Amino acid sequence: MEMDSLSNGNNTTATASTPATVSPDSSAATARATPTPPPSSTGPQLTEALKLEHQFLRVPFEHYKKTIRANHRAVEKEVSAVISGVTDAASADFSPDDAVNHLNSLVSRLQGLKRKLEEGSRAENLQAQKCRARLDHLESADGENLSEWNSTRLKRILVDYMLRMSYYDTAVKLAECSNIQDLVDIDVFQEAKKVIEALQNKDVAPALAWCADNKSRLKKSKSKLEFQLRLQEFIELVRAENNMRAITYARKYLAPWGATHMKELQRVLATLAFKRDTECATYKVLFEAKQWDFLVDQFKQEFCKLYGMTMEPLLNIYLQAGLSALKTPYCYKDDCTKEDPLSQEAFRTIAMPLPYSKQHHSKLVCYITKELMDTENPPQVLPNGYVYSTKALEEMAKKNDGRITCPRTGSEYNYTELVKAYIS
Amino acid sequence: MELSSIKDAFDRVAKKQKLSSSKSQEVVDQVGREIEQALATIQAPNGPSTPVDQKSVLTDLKSKLNAIVALKQLEGPQKELNLSLSKYQKLLEKYFNPDISKAYRNVDFDNHIVNQIIASHFYRQGLFDLGDSIINEAGVLDLTALRLKFMEMHQILEAMRVRNLQPALTWGSANRDELVKIGSNLEFKIHTLQFVEVVQNGTRADALKYARTYLAPFAHLNKDDFQKLMGCLLYAGRLESSPYSDLMSPAHWEMITEELGRKFCTLLGQSYQSPLSVAVAAGVEGLPTLLKLANVMAAKKQEWQAMKQLPVPVELGKEFQFHSIFVCPVSRDQGSEENPPMLLPCLHVLCKQSILKLSKNSTRTFKCPYCPAEATVANCRQLHF
Repeated sequence: MEMDSLSNGNNTTATASTPATVSPDSSAATARATPTPPPSSTGPQLTEALKLEHQFLRVPFEHYKKTIRANHRAVEKEVSAVISGVTDAASADFSPDDAVNHLNSLVSRLQGLKRKLEEGSRAENLQAQKCRARLDHLESADGENLSEWNSTRLKRILVDYMLRMSYYDTAVKLAECSNIQDLVDIDVFQEAKKVIEALQNKDVAPALAWCADNKSRLKKSKSKLEFQLRLQEFIELVRAENNMRAITYARKYLAPWGATHMKELQRVLATLAFKRDTECATYKVLFEAKQWDFLVDQFKQEFCKLYGMTMEPLLNIYLQAGLSALKTPYCYKDDCTKEDPLSQEAFRTIAMPLPYSKQHHSKLVCYITKELMDTENPPQVLPNGYVYSTKALEEMAKKNDGRITCPRTGSEYNYTELVKAYIS
Repeated sequence: MELSSIKDAFDRVAKKQKLSSSKSQEVVDQVGREIEQALATIQAPNGPSTPVDQKSVLTDLKSKLNAIVALKQLEGPQKELNLSLSKYQKLLEKYFNPDISKAYRNVDFDNHIVNQIIASHFYRQGLFDLGDSIINEAGVLDLTALRLKFMEMHQILEAMRVRNLQPALTWGSANRDELVKIGSNLEFKIHTLQFVEVVQNGTRADALKYARTYLAPFAHLNKDDFQKLMGCLLYAGRLESSPYSDLMSPAHWEMITEELGRKFCTLLGQSYQSPLSVAVAAGVEGLPTLLKLANVMAAKKQEWQAMKQLPVPVELGKEFQFHSIFVCPVSRDQGSEENPPMLLPCLHVLCKQSILKLSKNSTRTFKCPYCPAEATVANCRQLHF
């Protein structure tokens, strides 16, 4: 009877949950009925991984949409300008020469529009191509090229990180040397680069122009970036003790925000009473240089939102998820295997605030071969209580005439002294 | 996922965009033509001689242009384009996860550390340019030592790829003791490669001399391989058609090249796989589960940002299994130093606390929950995985 149950136990070694109350016979039956799921990295898992790629398709699409809108607006504006030009001419009393001149200027205006339109439609087509290249890239992922595809994904994630961090040179180099220009958003970030660099030089003009370009969408998302930029400009006027101009400026650009942001407006206006060297903490911070860094961050956020990007760099998101899934108390021990990223100080520090992973079932890794111990390669116990995989021990025994040396204690045993352990 | 249907939707968008853009061009052309026609009429020698006539030409032009635009030739296609644009966007949101940062824990990631990880990653991959570049842009800590080491590794591997073993042999003999300490016969294997080259391209005497000088010191530990190699001597110069042809195969070279990379990293105290690649790959596998979890927790209004342990398991492939984790099948607790796994005499394994509970604090014998065998705490043994 005992022998029977043992061989049953053998079958259950690596299977999933076997309720403790179940009798040995029936537990063996469930074990046979439910084979261990293959640890595949294709199929449903690939589908799940692809579902994470929203930003990958969304960003070029937003860019495409933006170009289309801009082109259309240009056409509408110019055509209606030309028509109103004709209307003016029809009602004015022009001499023939004047009329000819007027019409000629309209014709050349149209020619300019035509050129712009051709350029615009070229840009549209290029961006459509990019959208398509990304769809093709997602479609190309399958079991066969998966490791290469995954390595490209890591590169894409790194380029995304570097662009967001303004490491443009490295981003461009990486994209070029791996030939993935179509799969990363360097062109989109060129637009951000100008604004960010200007803000770092304490110049809000490009940022304001960007706000004007994207006015309707920023309004829809209730963005107050423009207000914040205006506040900063106001502060700069106060800093220069240009008080009269500051007041005029506030009337023109700050007052419209009064309805929604009165508190901040009042606080900033109060700086007129203080000066740039005020010691009053509430107002002192407004004059600090880090306000500009704050504006850069604000701009980056709005920029990412507008293009449908995640707020955090993809790298941070994936790293955090990966480290949470990998983190166990064993990772922080001295004998942690080097293959575990969490054996490295840098990863350990990043993982510090993250939760530990949870396990519902035993997962045993052979100390010697680092292979998973399961039904095919069951764990065996040495008389000293140390456990290794059958494969490792068999090999050791073969090489040493049936002798086993425990690599962690140095004790020696005969292969016949080992017993299999049954772990459910 | 139905990528093909998404592609179809995009094709519709692109078609509408082309249509709308050609319509715009048409309208612009038409307006231009009308104006030029009017110009021609005004300038014609037998054209309008009085200001009244000229005015009527212009008024005529005005109404023509208004008619062109009023035909809604611009708005129509644009409206359709807008429709397909927003449809496509909705499709993307439906098939993809529109916000993968939902499971993100809002903690400060130290960018310096991340940059350092990236720079090390580039060096490890042999992308020294990129590593230098990011250090330059981000001002990462000094990684010169690591750079030098990886540089050496890549030079050795690069040389091996063009079948130059000299750097590998130099490294092997310089690190002989360390290699032996980790139980590796890599140096012997590199000499094997070199020996086969000599057998194939040199004289038999050269080969014999090489074997005596370089292979013999390893013979006692690699008896079988050594004998096999000496067998090669019989086929000098025509190994490719001998039973030993596999020794010359590119696969054999690749295997030893890879092993050198591995051992090099081991001696460096580094992993063979880039830890960044491993962590990100684990993230890709784990993130879908975490996102589902974040959704469920949000629906239940539970806070999980501060949790010390994830409430559900995140299954990763076995390539991410670095540690033995024992979960007691009775209590579902994870094994630890205080609560280690114990082997019952019937060879089933439970955690210590479960055994104490079953034995009412070691006061009586108990039945194994998995088989009819009886056990006492005294005859259970602690296991070390």
